[in-house]
Amino acid sequence: MDPQAAGAVSVAAPNRPTREPVGAPVFELRDATVRYGSFTAVKGVGMDIPRNEITALIGPSGCGKSTLLRSLNRMNDLIAGASVDGKIMYNGEDIYAPDVDPVEVRRRIGMVFQKPNPFPKSIFDNVAFGPRLNGYKGDMGDLVEESLRKAFLWDEVKDKLKESGFSLSGGQQQRLCIARAIAVDPDVILMDEPCSALDPIATLKIEDLMREMKDEYTIVIVTHNMQQAARVSDMTAFLTVDIDDEVGERTGALVEFDTTATIFAGAHDKRTEDYISGRFG
Amino acid sequence: MRITRQSSIVTALVASSALVLTACGGDGDLPDAPAPGATATDDGDAADGDQLSGALDGAGATFPNPVFQDWAFEYSGSVQPGVSINYQGIGSGGGIEQFLLQTVDFGSSERYLRDEDLDEAAEARGCEAIQFPVLFGAVTIAFGDEQLADLVLDAEAIAGIFQRDITNYNDPAIAELNPDMDLPDMEIIPVHRSDGSGTTSVFTTYLDHTAENWELGAGTEVQWPADTIGGQGNEGVTQGIQQNAGGVGYVNQAYALVEDLPTARVINDDGNAVSATLEATTEALEVLDIPDNFQFDILDVAGEGFPIAGANWIFVWECGYDENTGAMLRDYWTWATQSDEARDLAEELGYAPLGEGLRARVAESIDRINSQG
Amino acid sequence: MSSSASPGTGPSAGASTTPVEEPSALRSRGAARYSDRAFTIMLWAAGATVLLVLGAMVVRTVSDALPVFQYQGFFSFVFGTEWHAGFSRQEFTGTYGAWPFVWGTIYTSLIAVGIALPMSIGVALFINFYAASRVRQLMSYSVEILAAVPSIIFGLWGLLWFVPTVLHPFSIWLNSVLGFLPFFGGSVPNVNYFHAGVVLGIMILPIITAVTREVMATTPVDEVQAAYGLGATKSEVLRKVVLPRSFGGIVGATMLGLGRALGETIAVLMLVGGSQRFDTRLFFAGDTLAAHIAATFQDASPETLVALMGIGVVLFIVTMVVNIVARLIVWRFAKTAGAGDAL
Repeated sequence: MDPQAAGAVSVAAPNRPTREPVGAPVFELRDATVRYGSFTAVKGVGMDIPRNEITALIGPSGCGKSTLLRSLNRMNDLIAGASVDGKIMYNGEDIYAPDVDPVEVRRRIGMVFQKPNPFPKSIFDNVAFGPRLNGYKGDMGDLVEESLRKAFLWDEVKDKLKESGFSLSGGQQQRLCIARAIAVDPDVILMDEPCSALDPIATLKIEDLMREMKDEYTIVIVTHNMQQAARVSDMTAFLTVDIDDEVGERTGALVEFDTTATIFAGAHDKRTEDYISGRFG
Repeated sequence: MRITRQSSIVTALVASSALVLTACGGDGDLPDAPAPGATATDDGDAADGDQLSGALDGAGATFPNPVFQDWAFEYSGSVQPGVSINYQGIGSGGGIEQFLLQTVDFGSSERYLRDEDLDEAAEARGCEAIQFPVLFGAVTIAFGDEQLADLVLDAEAIAGIFQRDITNYNDPAIAELNPDMDLPDMEIIPVHRSDGSGTTSVFTTYLDHTAENWELGAGTEVQWPADTIGGQGNEGVTQGIQQNAGGVGYVNQAYALVEDLPTARVINDDGNAVSATLEATTEALEVLDIPDNFQFDILDVAGEGFPIAGANWIFVWECGYDENTGAMLRDYWTWATQSDEARDLAEELGYAPLGEGLRARVAESIDRINSQG
Repeated sequence: MSSSASPGTGPSAGASTTPVEEPSALRSRGAARYSDRAFTIMLWAAGATVLLVLGAMVVRTVSDALPVFQYQGFFSFVFGTEWHAGFSRQEFTGTYGAWPFVWGTIYTSLIAVGIALPMSIGVALFINFYAASRVRQLMSYSVEILAAVPSIIFGLWGLLWFVPTVLHPFSIWLNSVLGFLPFFGGSVPNVNYFHAGVVLGIMILPIITAVTREVMATTPVDEVQAAYGLGATKSEVLRKVVLPRSFGGIVGATMLGLGRALGETIAVLMLVGGSQRFDTRLFFAGDTLAAHIAATFQDASPETLVALMGIGVVLFIVTMVVNIVARLIVWRFAKTAGAGDAL
C-alpha cells in the first residue's frame, strides 16, 4: 500500500551529520504490519535501522510509533491478540520466526519505558535483577557499579545502594531503569518516550546519557518532543495516521525515514513538514 | 465462689447461642423464649374431661424430643383438638433452667431435681415443684463391625475400654468374658458424645457406680482420655463407630434400634448378660426401688434387666397456673402417661414407657398440678 | 423499593422528578438539604452501631466470663490442660483449662492455611495469568460459589463423603508410610486435627484466592513489562515481580482466611474429634475453642456456661493476637521492600 515509505529509506544519505553507519543495519523492517485482533495499528512499514546510532520515531498520537517500537523486541506478544505480518529482521534473523524465543529476543533488545518503573526493591537489586535472571556468574557488585556509572547515576547513589529505588527522584529513577537495562548487556535499547514524565533538567541529563551510550548500543527512541528528536537522534522516522472515515479506523503508517538533519532541514513530504512546523498533530 | 448472676447467664446463653448458631449457618433449635405462664385463650371454667383449648409451652431434654413431638401431634389431632403443645428440645440443663425461671409451663430433663433445686424452686414460686418420670431409655454399647454383635461386656471391661486401659478387642479381659467368640486383633477406638448429653450422664453414672476401676466421674460431660473420639449427638457417634474399624460407642437404645446397630450384651447385677431390648429396659424398672419423690438413678439392675438406662422427668408446679393451663397440663400428661395410644407411640420409636406400678404413682403426681391454686 | 414516585406527591418526590408545573426553587433546595442531613445522620448512626455492638459484645462476654477467670486464674484458664466440667448451679466445682482448645484451634487453622495458601496462590496465578478468558470466568465463578457454600454443608460433606472416601484412606496410607515419625504416628480415627484442617483449608481457599487474585491484578503493568523487557520468562515475572509485589496483600488475604479458620465452628465441630485433650500428632482427635462452645453449651450447667464464656474471650484474644502478628509481618515487609502500599 505504501511503497513510497520503503523507497524513502536512505541509509546512506549524502549529508549525514554524524559518522557513517557501521556495517549492516540492526533491524530491517519489510512491510511490517502490527494488528491487535482485527484492528490494524500500523501498516506496511519498511525501514533499516542502523547500528550504533540513535533512531527517533516521531509522529502524532495514534500513529503507531510505540506499537512499532514494541514490535522490535516482541513486547507486543504480551498483549492478547497482537500479531505481526511482514518481516522484522534483527541482525538478519526474523524475530517472529516460529522457533524464536521472545525471551531471548528481549535479553538482547532491552527497553526503557515512558514512566520510570523501578521495582519495589533496593537500588542494587534493581540493577542486579536482570543479571540474576540470566544467572550472571561474575562479581555482581562490580557489574552494578559499572552499569550505574554508564547510566551517570553512580555518584548520586553509591552511598545508598540498599535504599529503595523509589527513594530517588524521577530523573534518577529513569536513569536507574537505564542502568537496569544496561546491566544485562543488551545490543539494542528501545526507549518509549523516556523523558515525557521528567522535568527539563532531568531530560537533558538523559539526552546526554543517550549520546554517550550510542558508542556501545543501538538506540531506538519514540518521542513526542520534536526538539528532543532533533537534539539527540541521528535518524528520524516520521509516522502518521491514515483515517478511514468509512470504517472509522485509524491506521498508522510510515511517511518517511531519513537522517534527522534532512527531515528537519526540509522534509520531502508535506505531511512531515506540517507536523514538524507545528501545523499538524 | 458463688455464681451470682444466674439470670444474666441465661440471657447470655440465649445471646451466645444466637451468635454461635449464626456462625454455624443457622441450624439447631434455639429456645424461642416462650411466653411465661398463662397462654390460655380464654379463662373459662373448663374442668378435666371437657373440651379444652389453649397452648402449652415446654422445653428441655432432646432425648425424648421425637416422642414428645409425636405425642403432641396425636393429642392435638384426636384427643384435644383445641390444645397445641409446643416443646423445644433445648437440652436437659436448659430444661431445668427454663423451668426454674418459670418461662415455660413445664420443663423436662434427663436428670431429676435435687433437693437444693427443689428448695430454690419453692422459694421462687411460693409452692412446690412436682417431678415425675415419663419415659425410659437404655444406653447401648454399639459397634461398627458386625462380627462384634452380642459381644459380652461387664462394667469393668466397658470402663477399661473407655479409659483406654483396654485398647484391643483381643485383650484378655474381653476374651475372658467371651470364651466362645473369635476376637479380632483390632485396635479399639472408643467414641463418646462430644456434646453435653444426658446419655453421657446415664452412661458415666452407671460406670461410676458399678465399675471399681472407673476414674472419670459422672456427668453430662466428662474428661475423656486421649485417643478417644467425640461425636456430635447420636448421629455423630454412629458415624464415628461406623467409619473407624474397631469403633465402639454408647448410643441411645432408640437410635440403635432404628439404625440396627450391632450392640453388646452387658452383664447386670445378677451376672446375666443381657441384650438391650425394650423388654429388658422395662424389666430393669420393674425390679427397681423408686422413691416417692422420684429422685432416682437406674442402678444395680438385676434379673433379666438391661443395666444401663436413664429416665426422662417432667417438671411442673403445684400452683401459679391459671385454671385452664392447669387443666390442660393435667389432661395432657395423664393421657401421655396412662393411655395405650401414647404407650404404643413411645414403643414404636424405641423408648420404654412406664410400667404398671409406676403408672399409678405418676398419676397421683399429675393430680397435684396446680392443686394449690 | 420506595424510589418510584407515587401518585401522592410529597415535597421531595415532586422536587426530584421532572415537574409538570414550575417547581419552587426554594422548596426543592430545602428538601434536598433536609434529605442530605438525614442521610448524614443515618451514616453516623450506622457507624456508631458497629462500634456499639462490638463494644457491647466485648464488655458483656468479658463480664460474664469474669467469675471463671477469678476462680481459675486467667493464666491457668488459658494454659491449663485439664478441662473437667462441673455441674453446679451455685458455685464452681470443675477444673477449667482451655489450652487443649487453644492448641487445637491454632493447630487446625495452621493446617488449613498451610493447605489453602499455596493452592490459593496457584489458583490466583492461573486465573490471572494463564487461563483463557472463558476458563477464567468459569473459574472465578466457581471460586465465588465455593465461598458461598454454608459451613454446615462443608461439615456434612466432609463427614459423610470426603473424609470416608478420600481423606481417611489417605491419612491411613500416610500413617502406614510415615508412622515411624511421631508426628504421623498413633491411631488414625475418622475425625482428627488433620481432617478438620483440610476441610477448613478448602473452606478458606475461596476467600484467600479472591483477595490474592485482586491484589495480583493490581501489580503495576510497568513493573511486569520492565521484567519482560529484561528478558524474564513468564514464570520469572510471576515469581520475582508479581508475588513479591503482592506479598502484603497475600498476607492480608491469609489473615482473612485464618480469621475464618480460627472462628469456624460447625464444620470443625463435626470433624476435629471432640475430645478435650491435645497432642502434637497430626491424626489426633482434639477440639477447638469455637467447636467446644458449640458442642457443649446447650446442655452445659450454669458454672460450665460461665467457663464457655471464658473460652469465647480466649478465642477473641487469639484472633486479635493473630491479627496483630499479621500486621507486624506486613509492616516489616513493607518497610524493607519500600512498598508503602501493602495492606
